[in-house]
Amino acid sequence: MGMFGAIDAAASGLTAERLRMDVISNNIANVNTTRTAEGGAYRRQMVVFAPRENEAAFAQVLSEKLDTGNGVKVVGITKDNSPTHRVYDPAHPDANQDGYVEMPNVNVVTEMVDMITATRAYEANVTTINSAKSMALKALEIGK
Amino acid sequence: MLKYIFHVRKCNFIIYFILFYTGGYCVLNSILASPRVSVLEQALSASSLRQQVISNNISNVNTPGFKKSEVVFEDLLQNAIGDGKLQMTKTNSQHLPLKQEGIPKPVVNVIDKTSFRTDGSNVDIDIEMANLAKNNIYYNAVVQQLSSYFSGIKSAIKEGRS
Repeated sequence: MGMFGAIDAAASGLTAERLRMDVISNNIANVNTTRTAEGGAYRRQMVVFAPRENEAAFAQVLSEKLDTGNGVKVVGITKDNSPTHRVYDPAHPDANQDGYVEMPNVNVVTEMVDMITATRAYEANVTTINSAKSMALKALEIGK
Repeated sequence: MLKYIFHVRKCNFIIYFILFYTGGYCVLNSILASPRVSVLEQALSASSLRQQVISNNISNVNTPGFKKSEVVFEDLLQNAIGDGKLQMTKTNSQHLPLKQEGIPKPVVNVIDKTSFRTDGSNVDIDIEMANLAKNNIYYNAVVQQLSSYFSGIKSAIKEGRS
């Protein structure tokens, strides 16, 4: 990692949290979706994060024990397989013979909490970038 | 008169020139590579490394099972300098030093023995943000020390005139 390693790592955090926010937003938008291409109600989506590995193995060998890590990456978006809940609504076009409609397994409260977590994590990464930036600028003042 | 002054100036220039390419170069080298500068340099590089490590920890705050890292430098430096004890005088260059000499290099340690959340991650965002703020101030302090050292040299070169 060079001079801007801290900014690169924080930027990967920004990207990951932004994607998480997109997925949460999609979940909330589909809170009442009863029809999907695969059939059945919409299923809640989740993002999976993992630490980003160093791309250059040679550089890792060079830096020996100074492996600071490379930020975060999104491994994938998975579906929540928890059971969907059923609502009694015989007038609904997707209702079964008993009058029940299969509704998505999206809990708006959970999504809201996740959204706050994503927002705060995003802000923390922005703070890191600002801090690293001010440090890099301060270093330019040496010898002035 | 004018011609004389010009001559003296010219001589000065030649003297400086000779000084620079013989002894002057060595003097300048010893000023720029003084122990103080090399300690501050290493501290600056440790702080920069710590910023990267903290940044990595913060970007992985929502990664399940992630274990945080930390940079160790100040303790190593303290060990290398000694606890303020008297240093033994060397009367011969072949005398063995008391402790290992030289400025230590910063080391990154992964803390994988603790857990902070049920998902196995041990990143505490409050601690990371506090460390970030501390590291920023520390970096600025080291830069200020380096700057004051160089401005002192600059002042000496300019004979105290601004």
